[in-house]
Amino acid sequence: MSIFKNVMGALLATATLGVAPVMAQEGATIAIIGGRADDAFFAKIGRGIDDATLVVEAHGGTVNYLQLQTYDNIGGDAANLVRTAISQGVDIIAVPNWVPDAQDEAIEAAMAAGIPVMLYNAGGGDKAAELGAINYIGNEEYPAGLAGGKYFAEHGATNVICVNTVPGAGNLEARCDGIRDGMAESGGVSEQLPLPASAFGDPTAVAEAIKATLLGDETIDGIFTISSADADSAYIGMQQAGRVETVALGSFDMNVAGLERIRDGEQLFAIDQQPWLQGFLAVTLADGYVNYGLAMATSPLLTGPGIVDASNIEATLKGGELGYR
Amino acid sequence: MSRLSIGSLFRRPEAGAFLGMVAVIAFFLIFGGINFLKPSGIASWLNVAANIGIIAIPVGLLMIAGELDISIGSMIPAGSMIVAIMSGHYDFPIWMSIIVVLGFGVVVGFINGFLVVHTAVPSLIVTLGTLFAVAGLVLGLSVLITGTTSVSIKAPDFYKAVFGQFIGGTYQVIILWWFAVTAVYIFYIHYTKYGNWIFAMGGDRESARNAGIPTTKLTIILFILSACSAAFVGMCQALLFNSAQVSAGMSYIFNVIISVVVGGVVLTGGFGSVVGIVFGTITFAVVNQGIYFTSFDRNWSSLIIGVMLLAAVLMNNTFRSMALSYAPKKK
Repeated sequence: MSIFKNVMGALLATATLGVAPVMAQEGATIAIIGGRADDAFFAKIGRGIDDATLVVEAHGGTVNYLQLQTYDNIGGDAANLVRTAISQGVDIIAVPNWVPDAQDEAIEAAMAAGIPVMLYNAGGGDKAAELGAINYIGNEEYPAGLAGGKYFAEHGATNVICVNTVPGAGNLEARCDGIRDGMAESGGVSEQLPLPASAFGDPTAVAEAIKATLLGDETIDGIFTISSADADSAYIGMQQAGRVETVALGSFDMNVAGLERIRDGEQLFAIDQQPWLQGFLAVTLADGYVNYGLAMATSPLLTGPGIVDASNIEATLKGGELGYR
Repeated sequence: MSRLSIGSLFRRPEAGAFLGMVAVIAFFLIFGGINFLKPSGIASWLNVAANIGIIAIPVGLLMIAGELDISIGSMIPAGSMIVAIMSGHYDFPIWMSIIVVLGFGVVVGFINGFLVVHTAVPSLIVTLGTLFAVAGLVLGLSVLITGTTSVSIKAPDFYKAVFGQFIGGTYQVIILWWFAVTAVYIFYIHYTKYGNWIFAMGGDRESARNAGIPTTKLTIILFILSACSAAFVGMCQALLFNSAQVSAGMSYIFNVIISVVVGGVVLTGGFGSVVGIVFGTITFAVVNQGIYFTSFDRNWSSLIIGVMLLAAVLMNNTFRSMALSYAPKKK
């Protein structure tokens, strides 16, 4: 009996201790949903979230970073994570709206439950306004592609291939469409090269596909890739086709190898959507909104497209080596 | 086996795989033109085949022995990241990284093999576990050490020449590695007792052990071979592309298994050959890369790849049943 009492006492004490800080807590409980942990791009967003968490914790709040395990069913899985956050009773949710058809319902359910939502990384300003989200922080895919297409055209490219290693993904199609329309403004053309799923993640297969495409068409003078790793492969493909001198390489996002190519004049440019800022701003603005009712007057908050080329490579490279760019 | 006749050649286990390969090459020759068989065209699929092929042979041997190893999917990025972090992020000499890469392969392969032979858990599940565990380990350590998931590496000329260079500007040096290890495998599997041991294990493990075959040791060695091969390919990729990513290689799991099966290895074990696996790998690479030499709309590539692979496997099966049901005419 006494043992039972002791155990109960201990449990009660623990429960009280466990509850006490929550009761005393004044800060915001923020849920932020993101991509896979081994996604190089989301690693930089994660960096921004980590840094912003310091601010949230200083205000007595917490950040719960919910990451997707796979991209096989990205819309449905993201919607489920939104519902997980709702059931945890968080104060605010930040989420990329990758597949609006699949996610809108969950986002609306969150708002119906009184939880404000911030869109970031994917979705766009129009979508945020339509859903009644606080704001959209990130890049807009089509304008980013458009900027890339214009940049290509300004630098003399007339026939650009947009290499798409995940054909069918709406945001990537939008990037390639943007490239095409940006080129078209100056009379250039751009076609998409969709690669089969068996090539995804196999750099040799991607490189060889690009090489074969270059060999098949002498008029191609620009290659655009939708990710930084694909740009590594594209460069090898160009090398093998003997077209490094005559074909300009551009990519969405960047890694250190890509930045070094830009520094050494082997890659023309990279489109930067500044993922660190996306993660950092999403969390700090969510914190400010819940705690103090702060909100940006500008909407959407665009973190891109920025263009990294020979003119600004040094500072970017420094950030890249530290995992911020 | 005394005389070599056309008939006996067709009844060899790799005959179906060989004809499948010839058929797909002929297909792309017709629809893609002669560019496909010019040196740079050949490099197109030989480069892809070599990367898959080095892993496909040990995985194929495991499948012949009745096991499966899918942890290769994370061993490839593990090999890339180890060499990139050690010799790119830090400045350790490459030879030291190579030892660590292969050493890591031995450790993971040993864990796979040990768990498979000492527990009743199927190898698919064991290696599924190590697939995720290694992926998580590589990701966690990479972010902890470098703060990023993508590390660049510039290897000295000697190591680039040996592991990650283009011969004549088009052929990856890994092709030579592939040929060399293939020769070694052919010797050991088809001309020494070890080969028969592996086939016997795939046929019936109990009887094989009762016949005195060291099944435990052999299984562990095969798992070590496949893990090391995958890590080796990952390392070569990092040296070739001057960059390593945490999240590459998952597509290899499927691609390797497809190549092995197209090469005539039976999923349930006990039947197949090293040369067949090589033909299967080339078939897979030709089908994947051949598309880019044709004028087909690229949106249809996956469909064409799927249909051609099915055709190659069906062809294979026809020849295998011919080989297995053959009985010489009585004189």
